[in-house]
Amino acid sequence: MEPLDQDLDESELELPAEPMQLKMGPAHPAMHGTVRMMLEVSGETIVKCDVQVGYLHRAFEKMCERGTWGQVFPYVDRLNYVSPMLNNNAFAMAVEKMLGIKPTERCEYYRVVLGELARICDHLTCNGAMAMELGAFTPFLWFIKARDMVWDIFEEETGARLTHSFGRIGGMAKPPTKRFKEHVRAAVAGVLALVKEGEALLLSNRIFIDRLDGVGVMTPELASAYGWTGPCLRSTGVAYDVRKAHPYSVYDRFDFDVPVGTTGDNYDRFMVRLEELRQSARIVAQALEQMPDDGPVMVEDARVTLPPKDEVYKTIEGTIQHFKIVMEGVKVPAGECYSYTEAGNGELGFYLVSDGSGTPYRVRIRPPCFIITSALHHLIEGGMIADIVPTFGSMNMIGGECDH
Amino acid sequence: MVKFIAEYQVLIFALVKILIMLGFFLNLAPVLVFVERRQAALIQDRVGPNRAVVKVPGFLLKGALATPALLAGVAVAALCFKFFPANPPETGVGRGFWMAELATLVLWSHALVLAGYVRVSGDAANPLEAALRDMRDPRWIFYTGGFLHLALGVLYGASSPANEAEVSKAFALGGPAALAGVLLLVAAYLGYRIPSGTVELRAAGLLHSIADALKFAFKEDFVPPKADKLLHSLGPLISLFPALVTYAIIPFGDALCFGTTNGALDVTKLAETASTVGACAEGQQAVSLQIADLNIGVLYLFAMGGTGIIGAALAGWSSDNKWSLLGGLRAASQMVSYEVAMGLSLVGAFMVYGTPRLGEMVRWQAENTWGIFVQPLAFFLFFAAAIAEQKRTPFDAPEGESEIIAGYFVEYSSFKFAMFYTGEYIELVTSSALLVTIFLGGWTMPFLHRDAVHVAFGDTVLLHSQMSHLVATLLGVGIFFGKVLSMSFFQIFLRWTLPRFRYDQIMAFGWKFMLPAVIANIVLTGLLVLGASSAGPSVASGLRLAADATGFIVIGASAFLAVKFARLLLSPVERARFTSSGVAARVGRVGRTPETPMQA
Repeated sequence: MEPLDQDLDESELELPAEPMQLKMGPAHPAMHGTVRMMLEVSGETIVKCDVQVGYLHRAFEKMCERGTWGQVFPYVDRLNYVSPMLNNNAFAMAVEKMLGIKPTERCEYYRVVLGELARICDHLTCNGAMAMELGAFTPFLWFIKARDMVWDIFEEETGARLTHSFGRIGGMAKPPTKRFKEHVRAAVAGVLALVKEGEALLLSNRIFIDRLDGVGVMTPELASAYGWTGPCLRSTGVAYDVRKAHPYSVYDRFDFDVPVGTTGDNYDRFMVRLEELRQSARIVAQALEQMPDDGPVMVEDARVTLPPKDEVYKTIEGTIQHFKIVMEGVKVPAGECYSYTEAGNGELGFYLVSDGSGTPYRVRIRPPCFIITSALHHLIEGGMIADIVPTFGSMNMIGGECDH
Repeated sequence: MVKFIAEYQVLIFALVKILIMLGFFLNLAPVLVFVERRQAALIQDRVGPNRAVVKVPGFLLKGALATPALLAGVAVAALCFKFFPANPPETGVGRGFWMAELATLVLWSHALVLAGYVRVSGDAANPLEAALRDMRDPRWIFYTGGFLHLALGVLYGASSPANEAEVSKAFALGGPAALAGVLLLVAAYLGYRIPSGTVELRAAGLLHSIADALKFAFKEDFVPPKADKLLHSLGPLISLFPALVTYAIIPFGDALCFGTTNGALDVTKLAETASTVGACAEGQQAVSLQIADLNIGVLYLFAMGGTGIIGAALAGWSSDNKWSLLGGLRAASQMVSYEVAMGLSLVGAFMVYGTPRLGEMVRWQAENTWGIFVQPLAFFLFFAAAIAEQKRTPFDAPEGESEIIAGYFVEYSSFKFAMFYTGEYIELVTSSALLVTIFLGGWTMPFLHRDAVHVAFGDTVLLHSQMSHLVATLLGVGIFFGKVLSMSFFQIFLRWTLPRFRYDQIMAFGWKFMLPAVIANIVLTGLLVLGASSAGPSVASGLRLAADATGFIVIGASAFLAVKFARLLLSPVERARFTSSGVAARVGRVGRTPETPMQA
């Protein structure tokens, strides 16, 4: 046996101390049930962090390859399940790009209004949940109450509060209800009033500011290098918004601002989301002004549009058209395309490959969360355990989207 | 029997007092749990958890509810007919006035309860109930009641010398008659309205917390395989212990004075009126409404409160879980740090009151002014430190459910968890009681003296009404428990609204802000006390006037808060109805969410 005190100087004679290994998640309440962090902590300070995703993996991309193009909509609902309408729009736009068809004017506005409402839901949920995880429950309830008002609109329009499956290739499943504009105006006004109340509770609270300010800082260089998009990127000061940079749909017709942060910390992310929510309300107001009151919301294209039921039952052409679209799917020309939109968390891209049949050959998604989460450890390392909560909360990591 | 009571009366008194306090604290814990859950249910337009039901035969409920009202009504009627003619007008007026006010209170509060019931259940048995159900804003009942109270006061106070005799006669006759009538009416209505079959008693959901507590007792008591069995069991015990023993020194009412027989206290000889100087008059013996009137007073509290740390630290360490270890460390360091600030924050109060005994502190406040006016900084510092000691939001880093899951009690289940849980809520009540005793006047209210309601500013007397010793003392007990209840509710509101500090921020706040602040408070108080005691009589009379002014401030502020709170509680539930179909619209039409068998 070798002598124990060999080669030991004074300082090493202290008690051996090594970082504690801590497995945070996936069942940890702050991890939203879908992520695991392997932490090495020294006291309360995090020395090393390894973020492991994949606990909500459902083979989304593989599932898409077994049905028709139209059958993908229910799956995309479950990507970012906080703002499903934006995913619906994004996927519909991608397929339309391959088909080379352009939705009707009314449909474009309808999509914009519903999409921006979904963005409001997304930001409300993220900011509210972050406040709740920090212990402030009342603001969360107010934000969720506001979200419920938006969900009432969605229920009215689509019949579902959460997973709408309302998008269609070439348009929307149903035209807007008769009192659509009136309802949306009332709801948005109510939402903004509630947000103002909840915001006042949080932003005038020194404890809340102290928890966010200067915590989880991201530099614009590193964020761009990782490929961050959305509110998280904008919080670092990079004013990249797909709606402004590469206007799609009818976004070039609206007057709205892109809020940016200065330091890229949690506080900036919180504030950027709050401001974006207000900008979305502006867009909704303008879109409602410009939206035509009548006209179809589906393109008049026999290749993609289901015929009216009357024709299906009474004419042979209608029956065949219906049968072909339902059983074989919309025939998308062979080729590939990448279509990208601004979703709740950033750039949501769909890379589609078609072999000319009614079934997708490949559906590849670019989820904004996945890229944001990949840089998460930079924000966490060096901080304290308690800092993980607001930092992870302000990322708005949505398992359904991240684990594609 | 009498001999037995006389022999052991100290013991019996102590037991009765312990039972009163224990009953209050143990009942308040479920009420507070319910309040917390109610907050969570706010968004869903329901009253919170109320699935626990006791099925009671209707006649039993009728008997339990209507009989007291009936008996009280009969008693008031009998008293009024027996004593009225012989009653001298001076005391008769006062009593008649208070009885009229009481009758008004009973009337409108019962109307509110009835309105609440028919508005929720929707079934009105008669046109009156239908009117209550269909009225747009039930707060009008409350406003009308308040108006009636004021009107009675004005009528009583504004009687001119010319018609004073008639007014006093009317009150002396009308007051008891009205009270008796209202009580009999309530009894009759209860008898008429409570159905004869089986009644599902839910007590507004309060039974649910009791059912939960029962459930805890029957759950599996899981102990982690590698945990230290002994320490793991000891943790909750040590945690609950200080919470339960600290209330021993809290006075919940003024001393009761009894006459003596052969130099020994005689329970049958309760004093008619209380003396205004000292605790009791010559030849009487006092029974203080405090379990133990220790001469070290509040120091006992710090000694006992300090042991709670050990419970949390033991629980965290013995659970064999890294999260609970972190929680235990956080709890230990936080509680030790804030103990310092908490103790020092009361030094200023000791200097002003000149005693560490809680009962005497309250007496000082009754004679002068509430502690919050002489020690405002200490009030907030002590409040913050007390919340930190209880480990509640914003200082709940030791359990921080989103950070370290549940901290030191993450590995506890069954009744051991319930002990932590109950301990936390009882500590909340204890700290509220302490705040009330030291800073908010304990059992006293401004203008409510030991012998009379006496409203005065300087030498101008605005209202004076004699009271018997027993009534004054019971009123004091009610006021104390009411204050504690309001303070506890306030703490719960705080908990739901504030986010929590980070661990290092808690430490920095404790050592870098709280400690200098409490020391500054001590120095400042010392200088002021010295200055006030050496200043001349003009300063003293000025301070006297200022103290009277604070009385009006307190009364005004409490009335304002009470009205605000009642308005909030009674605001009609109405959801925004901007959609024409869907759940919101259905709710808007029906007025509530559709009931399903699963609804809790």
